[in-house]
Amino acid sequence: MARCLKVIEMGGYAAGYAGRLFVRDGADVVRVEPTVEKPSWASYEAMETYLHAGKRRVARVSERVLADLIQAADVVVCEVDSAQQYDGFASMCKGKRHVVISPFGLTGPKQNWQATPSTLLAMGGYTQIMGDADKAPLTLPGHYLEFQSGTLAYGAVQVSVLEDRRDLIDIGMFETLMSLSQFTTVRWHCAGQIRSRHGSDFWFVSPSELFKCADGWVYINIVPNFWDPFLALIELPELVIDERFQTNDGRMLYREALLSAIAGAFKLLTKAEIEQRAEQCRVPLGVVRTLDDVLAEPHLLERGFWEEITSSAGGKVQSPGLPYRTSDEPRAGWAVQAAEAVDV
Amino acid sequence: MSKGLTNGPLNGARILDLTHVWAGPLAVRFLADLGAEVVRVEPPMGRGPKAFPYAPLGGWLGSAAGDDPWNTNAIFVKLMRNRRGLSVDLKTAEGKAVFLQLVSVADVVIENFSANAMDRLGLGHDVLVEANPHIINVSMPGFGNSGPLAQRVAFGPTVEAMAGLTDVLGYDADDPRNTAMALMDPISATHAFAAVTQALQHKKDSGQGCRIEMSLHEGGVNYMGPWLIDRQLGNPVETWGNRHPGIVPHGVYRCQGDDQWVAIACQQQSHWQKLTAVLNEEVGTQFSADLDLDARRKIETEIDEALTTLTTGTSKHEISQRLQTAGIAAGPVNTTPDMAADEQTIERGFFVNYERHATPMPGNPIKMAGLDSDDWLPCPGLGEHNDEVLRDWLGYDQPQIDELATVLHNEPPL
Repeated sequence: MARCLKVIEMGGYAAGYAGRLFVRDGADVVRVEPTVEKPSWASYEAMETYLHAGKRRVARVSERVLADLIQAADVVVCEVDSAQQYDGFASMCKGKRHVVISPFGLTGPKQNWQATPSTLLAMGGYTQIMGDADKAPLTLPGHYLEFQSGTLAYGAVQVSVLEDRRDLIDIGMFETLMSLSQFTTVRWHCAGQIRSRHGSDFWFVSPSELFKCADGWVYINIVPNFWDPFLALIELPELVIDERFQTNDGRMLYREALLSAIAGAFKLLTKAEIEQRAEQCRVPLGVVRTLDDVLAEPHLLERGFWEEITSSAGGKVQSPGLPYRTSDEPRAGWAVQAAEAVDV
Repeated sequence: MSKGLTNGPLNGARILDLTHVWAGPLAVRFLADLGAEVVRVEPPMGRGPKAFPYAPLGGWLGSAAGDDPWNTNAIFVKLMRNRRGLSVDLKTAEGKAVFLQLVSVADVVIENFSANAMDRLGLGHDVLVEANPHIINVSMPGFGNSGPLAQRVAFGPTVEAMAGLTDVLGYDADDPRNTAMALMDPISATHAFAAVTQALQHKKDSGQGCRIEMSLHEGGVNYMGPWLIDRQLGNPVETWGNRHPGIVPHGVYRCQGDDQWVAIACQQQSHWQKLTAVLNEEVGTQFSADLDLDARRKIETEIDEALTTLTTGTSKHEISQRLQTAGIAAGPVNTTPDMAADEQTIERGFFVNYERHATPMPGNPIKMAGLDSDDWLPCPGLGEHNDEVLRDWLGYDQPQIDELATVLHNEPPL
């Protein structure tokens, strides 16, 4: 466990996520609650349980107290809606190690543009490639943008601590998204092609699609070297002998016929049957898990993945542990503390 | 302390990079951009054969394969800047011996092979620790190294389905969608980056290394956390399409031109008030500025229709600018040429032309003092720095390097 850093966290879900990572690393995190909570994809209780367990929380903090808290901190994590909003904190943070997460970064002509995660996902190239070709592009639900920005903020602060620097770290969410592009950007710059959207079909290898089965859905991603194992799984002799499907180029060219044949086979099989075959044949396939399925997933249970969190209402829930672990010790349980007004 | 290839706060941290595909290389790119000294250790066929049978998805640097196509695959190159390249066959005894000597002077080894692949190579954690008791050993398998699913074949899109995201993504609940962009990979990458920085910090304090396991699947399930908690609390978790449980309006609206769209969202009451002024004046609606979220939800379809009327005849950039001027969150649904031409992107120098043919590459979103893309180095050629790495890290002389000729490579053997 790291030295016990004192962290002040201010802002929304990106700052909250960075704070969550600090808590798991043994830091003393004090969250300064915003006056207005931003809309979220889950309930307020779920968000606070997930993000704020293990933190101390203060609300309705005066400027004087906030300045004192910042001065006493080793790290300030500050999420703002614009560069202009940061101006209000800049003098308090002067000389402190602080990371500022904002929609567009602290400089540039759009530093004060209004933004939400959905408008940023659109501008950052994600929305364009999600959803069906003949429909409006689909925005990504959940707090991907905020959690990713918070994770980078956490890592950047660790680096700053490592070198004992007192930097301002500027993280723009727009740039976070563009830096996490798959091949969208180089496909344009090197091949002159704009990546298009095709529903669930990855498109550039085939078959790579979502299929309905007897009791749910399955996703397959059959890159060329998995075609033969897939043939063993699907048990359709006609695919083995059909000349059209012998190469990925052919499978892409005759995609409709191929997907139709596969769909016909899958709809007769249950998720359990398909999953068993995928395991036997070593095929990249994912059965679509419902949230209840995920919560009951034996693999996660056996790996001790979940954390027990006591919510602010006193109930206990299982919350995901961090996706990385640095020891085999069981994960700690955490409790959500209610925010208290320290200085009205 | 050694000097990194570029300036940055991670100067002095030595990383051996065995990663491939997307998640692992992206994690290492963040570390390299911050100044870590990264040596990429690759098998001779790690970048494919001498002659590619097909054009890669991201094309070639310079739009043509060139004389060394294994070094010009743009998707690969995009992830590999600021490293030195060593190509050594780890399946040979000599290759293993060289690798373990490098481990002995490194801080971090990172790989994203399938579960326990390093054990099968004879380079499991215990072996690495024997070479260097203080090593930080990062493993990024699809489902982790243990548990009933550990041996499953895992790709980003298939893991996404198993993490629960596909179940809530789509236009409606009965017709799910997969992002088809391997979303679990960048989630895994950022968390691996975070974990390594944390471990380096611990190592500085305690002198101790550690083993880090980063599961692609657990990265996805972690992302689903708030919904998974809501499910236990008995709260509904729905598929919202382009709508949002706490924001009305919230959508993607058609603009002038083929497949041109704009995203608009009013997450504050004040934004709605500003939007009503625009809609009532330009579309002729009579929306009340006082409608709260619940009231707006009841007429959401009507609001969406009015917004579509507003946006359909106007370019996505123009309507975004107009709404921004009015104080409303709006953004064009950008393609890459849109992003590259964006004034914000240009002014902050996000795309950087350090590769061959001045190919623009995505930059680093972490801005801090002393970091500058001016000193970035392009993706190394396969084995480009074989001699240099062995000299600098291990103090080899030329005869020692020559003895390794059969296990060192600077082009694919086939």
